[in-house]
Amino acid sequence: MGHEIGAHKVAQVGGLTFHMDTLMMTWIVMALVILIAVLATRQVALVPGKWQSVMEMAIEWLLEQMNSAMGPNGRKLAPLVITLFLFLLISNWLGLVPGFTSPTADLNTTLGLALMMITLVHVLGVMHKGLKYFKHFFEPYIPFVVINIIEELAKPITLSFRLFGNILAGEVLLIILGILVPYIVPTAWLAFSVFVGVIQAFIFTMLSMSYIGNSIRDEHH
Amino acid sequence: MENAIMVAGAFIGAGLAIGLGAVGAGIGNGAVTAKAVEGIARQPEARGTILVNMLISVGLIEAVPIIAAVIAIVLLYANPLL
Repeated sequence: MGHEIGAHKVAQVGGLTFHMDTLMMTWIVMALVILIAVLATRQVALVPGKWQSVMEMAIEWLLEQMNSAMGPNGRKLAPLVITLFLFLLISNWLGLVPGFTSPTADLNTTLGLALMMITLVHVLGVMHKGLKYFKHFFEPYIPFVVINIIEELAKPITLSFRLFGNILAGEVLLIILGILVPYIVPTAWLAFSVFVGVIQAFIFTMLSMSYIGNSIRDEHH
Repeated sequence: MENAIMVAGAFIGAGLAIGLGAVGAGIGNGAVTAKAVEGIARQPEARGTILVNMLISVGLIEAVPIIAAVIAIVLLYANPLL
């Protein structure tokens, strides 16, 4: 098989290993996200043009989900949520273009994003509630702290592995189907992978919002 | 000789992992989607909310079967022990 699955072009800089192909794809995704955002907001008109109306649809829908998940307090996190969703969407879709690979098909990317979101959950919880935030680990009974800690450890793991597994399995299947039954079946799988990319980006964003909402909301129980 | 046994073991393991994962994902997703469709039939105005919740649930349910698929792929192609 010509393509070694799971192998990355590595570069060793200063004793650390970098996956160069993932890094370059991440830079391409960054450039694309900036390009889309600039195209959508270049001439903001009251009667929107094409890019602007697509962006407005996506942002309005995300703001509505944010409102139900995080409450009115979460409005300040809107730029983070929208950027996260756009980044994940474009990087999931980039792997479907021949010759490119998704940066989210590398566990490092997804684990980094998941750890960032979980750190944000705890930092925001402490910022909003002070040190009483840690009291919720011991509710309703003290022995529950074990279950709560396991749950907090499981969150970044499932968050990262869900996205990584979906995108990597999709890419691998695309390669294998291309070898087995060229042209017809890979096209059907490609169409489904577009859908899966959207769903996984949405689920990652939704779950992060839900965790943040849980940690900053608990005042009125 | 042990290499042949390990290769055979990897193949069987990969097949079992993906097969059982598929069974789990199929049953779980089927249960959720059945209830979602029933909910839409009862109250067609709630279609948007029910659809969003159903998609989130499908994503969550499929997390571990997809991890099983990744394990099967690792066993076959990126096996560290072969």
